[in-house]
Amino acid sequence: MRRLLLTLLGLAALLPVLAAPVAAQDGPLRIDITEGVIEPVPIALPAFVDEGGAGELAQRITQVVADDLTGTGLFRRIPREAFISSVTSFASPVQYADWRAINAQALITGAVSVSGGRVSVKFRLYDVFAGTELGEGMQFAAGEDGWRRLAHKVADQVYSRITGEGGYFDSRVVFVSESGPKDARAKRLAIMDYDGANVQYLTDSGSIVLAPRFSPDGGRVIYTSYATGSPRIHVLNVGDVQSRVLPAQSGDMSFAPRFTPNGQGLLYSATSGSNTDIYRMDISSGQTSAITSGPAIETAPSYSPDGSRIVFESDRSGSQQLYIMSAGGGEPTRISFGPGRYGTPVWSPRGDLIAFTKQNAGRFHIGVMRTDGSEERLLTASFLDESPTWAPNGRVIMFARETQGAQGSSSLYTVDVSGRNLKPVPTPDGASDPSWGPLQ
Amino acid sequence: MHTGHYISGAGHLALIGWVLFGGVFSSEPDPVEVREVSILSEEEFAALTERSQPPESTQDIDAPPVPEAEPEPSPEPPAPEPEPAPEPPPQPEAVTPPEPETAPEPVAPEPQADAQDDVAAPPQPDPEIDAPEVSERPVPRPVPRVAPEPLPEPEPEAEVAPDVAEAIEPEPSDTPADEPQEPQEAQAPEAAASEIVTEAEEPSRAPDASVRPRVRPARPTPVAEPDPEPEPEPDTQTAAAPEPESEPAPEPEPEPQQTPPEDLGSGIEDALAEALGGGGTTDPQPDVPVGPPMTSGERDAFRVAVQSCWVVDVGSQAANVTVTIGMDMQQSGQVVTDSIERLSASGGDARAIETAFQAARRAILRCQGDGYDLPSEKYGQWDRIEITFDPSGMRVR
Repeated sequence: MRRLLLTLLGLAALLPVLAAPVAAQDGPLRIDITEGVIEPVPIALPAFVDEGGAGELAQRITQVVADDLTGTGLFRRIPREAFISSVTSFASPVQYADWRAINAQALITGAVSVSGGRVSVKFRLYDVFAGTELGEGMQFAAGEDGWRRLAHKVADQVYSRITGEGGYFDSRVVFVSESGPKDARAKRLAIMDYDGANVQYLTDSGSIVLAPRFSPDGGRVIYTSYATGSPRIHVLNVGDVQSRVLPAQSGDMSFAPRFTPNGQGLLYSATSGSNTDIYRMDISSGQTSAITSGPAIETAPSYSPDGSRIVFESDRSGSQQLYIMSAGGGEPTRISFGPGRYGTPVWSPRGDLIAFTKQNAGRFHIGVMRTDGSEERLLTASFLDESPTWAPNGRVIMFARETQGAQGSSSLYTVDVSGRNLKPVPTPDGASDPSWGPLQ
Repeated sequence: MHTGHYISGAGHLALIGWVLFGGVFSSEPDPVEVREVSILSEEEFAALTERSQPPESTQDIDAPPVPEAEPEPSPEPPAPEPEPAPEPPPQPEAVTPPEPETAPEPVAPEPQADAQDDVAAPPQPDPEIDAPEVSERPVPRPVPRVAPEPLPEPEPEAEVAPDVAEAIEPEPSDTPADEPQEPQEAQAPEAAASEIVTEAEEPSRAPDASVRPRVRPARPTPVAEPDPEPEPEPDTQTAAAPEPESEPAPEPEPEPQQTPPEDLGSGIEDALAEALGGGGTTDPQPDVPVGPPMTSGERDAFRVAVQSCWVVDVGSQAANVTVTIGMDMQQSGQVVTDSIERLSASGGDARAIETAFQAARRAILRCQGDGYDLPSEKYGQWDRIEITFDPSGMRVR
């Protein structure tokens, strides 16, 4: 009782202190905020105005823009039914109060016109709560068959102005389209928009193709093909869909090619006997040089954006791990130390992260880590996740996921670098080995 | 053919039944009790009891097992004599330690004497009263050793409690009884006045002991100079600490009546303004209520209101940027939109910084509604606000 009484009295004595105002501040009131919210930004996207000849195309373009933005997981489109004011003219003034009332942080207005077989799209972006226009209005034009690209262009601009980062909507992905049962699966190269639209096949299913990679400018694709009986690296020109096998490749088998940042050369792996090393090839001259040498299996090289370093996988330590070394060779530095096996590293276009595949405890993961191996973070987990590839802005990773069983199939998924917004990419057939091309 | 089996089976069943129910196993608990109890304790106790008591000691020896369960069977012993006999055995066991000090032979007389001295008290009451035997056993042990001391102890404990209460009483009893309620009521309205409010701020500092060190170093210096400029400064100092409650009401009346001390009044106001640390002559705006400093609760409420609208894109480059924003506020709690400016930023390139700034600005504007819930009587404390948005704890990388 005595202690209890003393405790109560002590607390009573502290009450005035706790309730007392904080020390008087000098100058302005200063507040530190360290916690925010993670939620999609509500945006208002009224249907683009038809300014002549657009018809339903204006609606479709509006929908593609909305799908692009909301598909990132960073934006939420406010339903049209909630709108207080309508946009009937692209030039009409914006009633900010009406949009502010429905909590729209950004307003996108646009107009579409079709004339002479060409589609023109113009848009404006407004910061509702600031009551100002965010950037200047822009207009794009293309043929009628390019209306989706116009929508992607608008979405890229909106995304970039709000997030401060480059967009990735107007980009394409090359991948291996798969069809048929697992034991007799036909594989062919295909190319599509980033969202799975406009799929086009680049090769037939007469020979197995693996690991296609876009060139930095998106005009070429290198891939591994068994057309000659053994795996060899081919180069395909996307414009005319013509391919050729690269000459003078070292070793019995060559695979896992990847362009250099300048697009004039490539790194690839070659196997001689039981040893696999990394080589560099100048595409124009066909001259090759070994980057690694030794008894270990070293493969899956990937350049840093500036071309000064490469990251690759090696089992020189006894297990499959990731290493970084100078682009010209030298002593590699191991960067992965966690449990399990690490493979297929890919350097982010930003240069700050490395995506990889990790196999541990019977599960496959797509993960990212800093270039020094720190802050490893696994983004996915499934029966089989592999082949990560970065979006052009380094914000999203696309990868292949294969389901278990004899009837299992492979399909493509995307995930935000934060680990959120995991979603499938629709493809007509099975798909694997994606490679995300540059922004067009 | 199976006749033999049936006969054999019936015979076995009969045998088993006879073994189980035929009384083969008869209980003989009596010899078990007799064997140990009677033999072991009898030898020692017999030697002790033979000299002092009649030959019935053997029967008494049988009793010791009973005293082992003393509390319950104790009422059974019919005669008072056997009981004192069992009591000594337990006591001599406790008394045996003193026995080794003496030789084995004299042990017989000495233990008796010792036992009589130590146990003298219990055996005496036993023969005198028969019934209380059971109740007396617990009593004699604690009484001589424990009971006398603890009895006085609880009394001082009871005395200590009122002492402590008395030491605490003076504060609530003296002040709140007569005056405290009135001055407290006076403090609430004082908050509306600028001067009184300023005094309210200082006493809030005073208990923190921050005022005392200031006063001590100030004394040596004013000792030489305070005389030429005596009154205004000492007035502010003294009025700040000891007279906050009583003087504020009477002072304003005499001062306006006495017109000559206008200079003193202005000097006091200046001194009070300086004492506030708010910039003295520059800050004072006649129409702006300064009020006491913002409480932590008020600051937290504002912080929570803003952060609830601060959308952080943890995967973006802007998540690496810490940006500080300054803005002017209206007394209604609304932000002066045009006054929002970026004061500083770190952690990213120019584009990431601009994105972080825009996100912070949207947060401020989006959540203000009709104005942030800030105390209007303290408008002078928050007419200018600087907010630092630091997403370092939220960013993924």
